[in-house]
Amino acid sequence: MYSLTVTFTIVITLCAYVACRALYLRYGHPLLNIVVLSAGVVIAILALCRMPYTTYVPGRDIMTFLLGPATVGLAVPLYRNRHLLRKYALAIVLSVAAGALSAMVTAGLIARFGGLPQEVVMSIVPKGVSIPFAIEIARLYDGIPALAAAFVVATGTLGSLMGATFLTRLGITNPVARGLALGTVSHAQGTATALMEGQEQGSMAGLAMILAGILTALFAPMVMLILN
Amino acid sequence: MKKVVRLAAQTALLWGIYWVCNRFVQATGLPIPGNVIGVAVLFTLLALGVVKLEHVQEAADFLLKHLVFFFIPIAVGLMDWGPVFYDYGLVLLVAIVASSLIPFWAVGFITQRLHRKEKPCTP
Repeated sequence: MYSLTVTFTIVITLCAYVACRALYLRYGHPLLNIVVLSAGVVIAILALCRMPYTTYVPGRDIMTFLLGPATVGLAVPLYRNRHLLRKYALAIVLSVAAGALSAMVTAGLIARFGGLPQEVVMSIVPKGVSIPFAIEIARLYDGIPALAAAFVVATGTLGSLMGATFLTRLGITNPVARGLALGTVSHAQGTATALMEGQEQGSMAGLAMILAGILTALFAPMVMLILN
Repeated sequence: MKKVVRLAAQTALLWGIYWVCNRFVQATGLPIPGNVIGVAVLFTLLALGVVKLEHVQEAADFLLKHLVFFFIPIAVGLMDWGPVFYDYGLVLLVAIVASSLIPFWAVGFITQRLHRKEKPCTP
């Protein structure tokens, strides 16, 4: 019975992923977010079968086993774009650091003074970085990984819907600047948007996304200290 | 078949780096996630030429192509957290919007200042 449950949870998750991915690739709209849609489908099925989240946990642990190695693999695109890293070193480091820090502090302070419970505050601080970094940072400070993932997706969706328009309104027209901003603020979803604008924007966004993850992890001890 | 073996071997290498970095973090109590250190370590190994792109890129590209899959099981955990969104929806919305707009401006402004001479683009 146990292994049957585990198999069932894995199969429904895989099917939801394949279906939602096909839908996204076909229509490409930022609101058709693969994570949101698939998780919604899985939650609906679990609810219909009256299965609590605890029955899903063993399957989850099997499915996320490769997340760590996949994240380490982010070094590969970073290495492939090392010439860009060198060319724009100062701009990249300064602006991504400023962007990551201001995102963490703004989100953390508003959440804290808005009266959110402590574990929710700790989950919203890393909301601007790629999910694997965000969940690990949240976990280090007693946040909730699932909530951290939700805030990351919300930020990414907002960025991919409004980011380009907003940057244009601000008079940010330099392609390097636009790519860095989209990658720093809205991680993978922003990178996808930046790629639609152009190759240069896309590469810079990819770099910014990974660096923002690393810098956010480095800044986290300091920011969490301010918030406590 | 050969491709599958190669993918498995490369994934094992990535997993090994991740495992070592995680153990390092646990042993030292460093407040930085193991996966962040893993990215830095693999980048350094590639830069030093200890690890070649051919040793990891197939597995890395495959895993990164399907990276979002791994987030689905984590997001399913939200099923226990519905009330937070009912109770604090507005605060959460304000926090997320404000903490997107400010860094958008900060990153764009700083980079544009440093690279003023370059040609602008028309999005």
